[in-house]
Order: sequence, then C-alpha cells, then structure tokens
Amino acid sequence: MIWLTWRQQRTETLIAILVLALVTAVLVPTGLHIASVYDHDGIGGCLAHPTGTCTERLDAFAGRWDSLSSLTGWFNLLPGLIGALLAAPLVLELERGTFRLAWTQSITRRRWLTTRLALLVGAAVAFALLLTLLMSWWRHPLDAVDGRFQNGFDFEGLVPTAYTLFAAAVVLAFGVVLRRTAAAIGLGFVAFFALRIGIEGWVRQHYVAPIHKTWTGGELPGRILISPADALLRTAWVLNRGTGFSAMQGHRPDPSIVESCIKNASTRGFERTCLAQHHITEYAYAVYQPASRFWLFQVIETGIFVVLSLALLGFAIYWIRRRVS
Amino acid sequence: MTVIPAVQTHALGKRYGSRWALRDCSLAIASGSVTALVGPNGAGKTTLLHLLIGLSEPSAGEVRVLGWSPREQPQVVLPRVGFVAQEHPLYRGFSLAEMLKVGRKLNPHWDEGLAHDRLARLDIPLGQKVHRLSSGQQAQVALTLALAKRPELLVLDEPVAALDPLARREFLQSLMEAVAEGGLTVLLSSHIVSELERVCDHLVILAAGGVRLAGSIEQILASHRLLVGPRVDPDGVAREHQKHAVIQESHTERQTTLLVRLNGAGVDVRWRSDDVGLEEVVLAYLGQQSMRRTEPERDLTEVAS
Repeated sequence: MIWLTWRQQRTETLIAILVLALVTAVLVPTGLHIASVYDHDGIGGCLAHPTGTCTERLDAFAGRWDSLSSLTGWFNLLPGLIGALLAAPLVLELERGTFRLAWTQSITRRRWLTTRLALLVGAAVAFALLLTLLMSWWRHPLDAVDGRFQNGFDFEGLVPTAYTLFAAAVVLAFGVVLRRTAAAIGLGFVAFFALRIGIEGWVRQHYVAPIHKTWTGGELPGRILISPADALLRTAWVLNRGTGFSAMQGHRPDPSIVESCIKNASTRGFERTCLAQHHITEYAYAVYQPASRFWLFQVIETGIFVVLSLALLGFAIYWIRRRVS
Repeated sequence: MTVIPAVQTHALGKRYGSRWALRDCSLAIASGSVTALVGPNGAGKTTLLHLLIGLSEPSAGEVRVLGWSPREQPQVVLPRVGFVAQEHPLYRGFSLAEMLKVGRKLNPHWDEGLAHDRLARLDIPLGQKVHRLSSGQQAQVALTLALAKRPELLVLDEPVAALDPLARREFLQSLMEAVAEGGLTVLLSSHIVSELERVCDHLVILAAGGVRLAGSIEQILASHRLLVGPRVDPDGVAREHQKHAVIQESHTERQTTLLVRLNGAGVDVRWRSDDVGLEEVVLAYLGQQSMRRTEPERDLTEVAS
C-alpha cells in the first residue's frame, strides 16, 4: 500500500521538489549576499553596541532589501500550492473511479485511507518544514535588524506547516464531495486565501490586546541616538504609530500656534522651545505587539489552522468511509 | 460443495436521500453458478453489486457474501471476491507491470503466474502503459487483476457495456474459460441480454429497484410461453391471468399474443403455445415495469403495438 501511494503521488511529489528547488535557487544566492553585506557593514556589531551612525546604517541595510523582501510575499502561495499538489492524487482517484479498484483488493478501506492520509500529511509537513528552514535562514540577517514579527511571521516558525496542512485538507474536503480535481483545487485555493488573508488582516492582531504606548521628550523615537523606543518598535509588529501635539491637561492645542512654531523655527530644538512657550508638547505613540509575543502568536495561529485542518480531514474521512461507493 | 450460497440478501435496500435505489431485494445466488443481473440503466444493478462488494452500506436489510458481511468483515470477504467495476477503472499512468505489482502488493492469494499467462495469451506486453491500451484490452486487464486474486466469487459490473462487438465476444470468451477452470461463482450485470445466454446459467431481472424474476435460465425458458390466438378483450386477458401470470400482451385486429409465466395450469386449446427466447422474456419483464410506472391502460397498447 505504501508503494502504491508513493507511485500515485510520485509525479506531484516531484513537482513539489522542483518548486522547492526553484525556491532554493533563488534564496541561496541572495541569502548569501544578504549575509555577506550584513557582515561587511558591521550590522551585528551595530545592533550589539549602538553608536551614533547606527540608525542610519540599520535603515540603509533594511531599506536595501525592500524590493527583494517584498518579492518573497509571493512565497505565501507556496504552502497553498504544495498542499493542493499533495492532495490532488487522492481527489483524482475519486474522480477517475480507481478507488473502486483499490477498495476491492484485499486490504480494507480503513487501511487504505490511513496509509494515504499518513503519507499525505507526512509529505506536507516535510515540505513545509524544509521551506520554513530555508526562509528562516534567508531572513536571518533581516530578522536581526527588523525582527521577524512584522515581515517574517508567515514564513517562519510553525505557521507555514499549519498553512500547508490546511491547504491539503481543504482541497481534500472539497475533493471528496465534488470528485472533481480541478474544481476542488480551485475552490480550495479560494478558501485557503480567504482564510489566510482574513486572519492576517483582521484577526491576528487581536490574539492578545496590543500595547498602546506614548513617548514624550527625550524618549521620542527617531532621535539620532537609538532610543529605547526605537529598539522596541524595530522588532515589534507595529499596528499603528505616529506623532502628535498635546496642550495642557490633554487638551488639543491650537493648530495655528503649532503651525507657526513649525514654520518659523529653523531647527527641531527651536521648534520645541517655541512649542514649550505655549505649553504644547510633542509626543509619539505606537500601537504594537512586542517581539516577545512572536511565539505565542505563532502557537495561536498554528492552533487555528491545525484545528481547522483536523476538522476538514475528519469530514473527508467520514465522507470517504460512509458516503463514497 | 458448500451449502452456503455465494450471495444471499434479505430485504436489502439502499436509499440515497429520499430515493430508494434498491428496495426489498431478497436474492440467493448459488455457489458455482454464473448469474446475469439484467435490467435497464438506473434499475439498481450497480447499487446491488456495490452492496455485495462492501463499497456501500445497506440502508435496510442484510447481505451475506460467502457467509460473511462485506461491510463488517471486509478483511474476510475482500480477499475472496474479485470485482471489476463499471468502466473497468485502472491507474492510467501505470504500466501493466505496475498494475500487476498493485495486485501482488494488495492481495494475499495473488497468482502472478495466472496474471502473466493471461496477459501473454492476450498479447498485451507488460511494459505497455494502461492509457495506451484499447478499451477492450483494459477490460481484459481488469478481469485479469480480478482473477489473479484467486477469488471464490467474481463480480463484474457492466463488463461489456463499453466494448465493441468483437471485444465483447473476446471478453466473454475469456470469462468462460476462467469459469471452465472451475471453483468460481460469477455474478455479472448487463443491460445487454444478447450473448449472455452463452455465458450464464442463471438470470436475475432487476427493474426500478426491485427483483422482478430470478432463476436458472433453463427453468425460465421452460416456464415462459408465448400464447397466440384469436383476439380477446381485456376480460379475456384477465381470465387468462387467473391461470398464468400474463407478463405482456399485444393485440392486432384479429389476433392476441400473450407472454405468460405458467403456474402449472394447462394452456387452453384455443392458444397456440410457442417457445420464447430469453431476450423476449427479459424485454417483456422490463416493459411490464415501464407500464406500471406510468398510466397503465394507454401505455399497455402503446407498448404492445
């Protein structure tokens, strides 16, 4: 049965390996380049011992990879692609009616199902872990500077594996009902991305209530010296940030005064003195999830996708055992 | 021989949603027989075969195959039963050698020699990919896989429906050869009656989800007669019906023809009593069903004329 499963899933597995090889071919050279620039520019030392020009150097380093880093957004497709690819042979078996051949050999349907699903899940996890390892290695220098919560969350830790499992499970669930491979993959993709985008855009930030924080005076982020706020926000997942002005007792300041101070002052220092004369202070605020919550969020999101995957797999198992004949 | 029938069903039924695909089906298939299950499309043939093989679960009643329940004891039933599903599904991308490997890996009593011999006789090379075979050859390969399991019961679902006449003949021929080797009970479904008579010795007629007639072909042919005589009115037919079961009637200006199943009563002298062919009997039973489903009176004449 293991041989048969492998034989049926061979083409799809090879395609998945090919996809992974392509990804590797892109990531390894660029990853080596990023790492060498990281070493050459002394970014590590800058992070350990922040000095005067560090903020600029860090910004320059991070900014340099912006376009490359945004390209990896496409890699969000990979868990969906690999999951769907691995689930396809099973759906194809239902579409073509060959399950009737398989189920009327001497092995029971239960054993057939167990083997097929075990190897499917095993392959999905293996591919997802390889992809995670690769991406984590590639992003390592970027993560050191900017943290991984903001840009690396979808590619690192546990979630890629959960996404892959979910993609496979959702395609399988559609597949057992529809018995049409193309339709199952199409609908599965729609469901997969709807959930991924929905959770990433609207749900993830609420796993734990975000921290609201306000800074004034010397703590203000964006000074020449790295302030504690800067280091904090750099690696955090910042949901919202900005600056503002407040008058005495939290009243809103007169905009015309603020405007005239900003317009007439030649430096930031004069500007502040001008504002202070009118009892107006500048403040910065941020709403964020601190870097320390990365793993908590990973576990929560993985939990959501794994639970959904198990529910879909359970449904597929029920359907195959009871409704398919 | 064992006294356990190869297949026994009791009040067997299968419902999909609110529709009964098969209902109240009680049937026994003798060990060693070759039985044709005939009926129009949608009569419940595939449903019945799937229940026998354990592919689906009964909604009502009971089924025993070689004495066991196919759903509850699949590990006992499956190795003893060979099954060729409708359209004889095979793994399209596999070579024949790989198809045989599937059989070898999944069946404890697999007879590799038998499989090789059959394929050699059919002149199908082992290196060939399944999707390159003609549909006749694919049917033969599916039959080979089922036979190499060394089953006690072989179940075939519409094995010849998709085949051209020549391939159909060749398929039935090689089925007969397998039967001749002995020890095999065969149940095959078909909506084509011609040629089955050469292969089968028993017949089950299934229509609209129920068994209409079951028995040995010999018996069926002996008990059915075509009565031809001067035209009688419906009362006359009803009178005749009290003596024999009138399966089909047809009338012309002067003549009435009745297809009847004799119930032991003698045939009135005003009828000429003719032998009837198997195909006619089957069609008569199937026609009877379609009459019952719609308005009886009008259809009666329409079908008959």
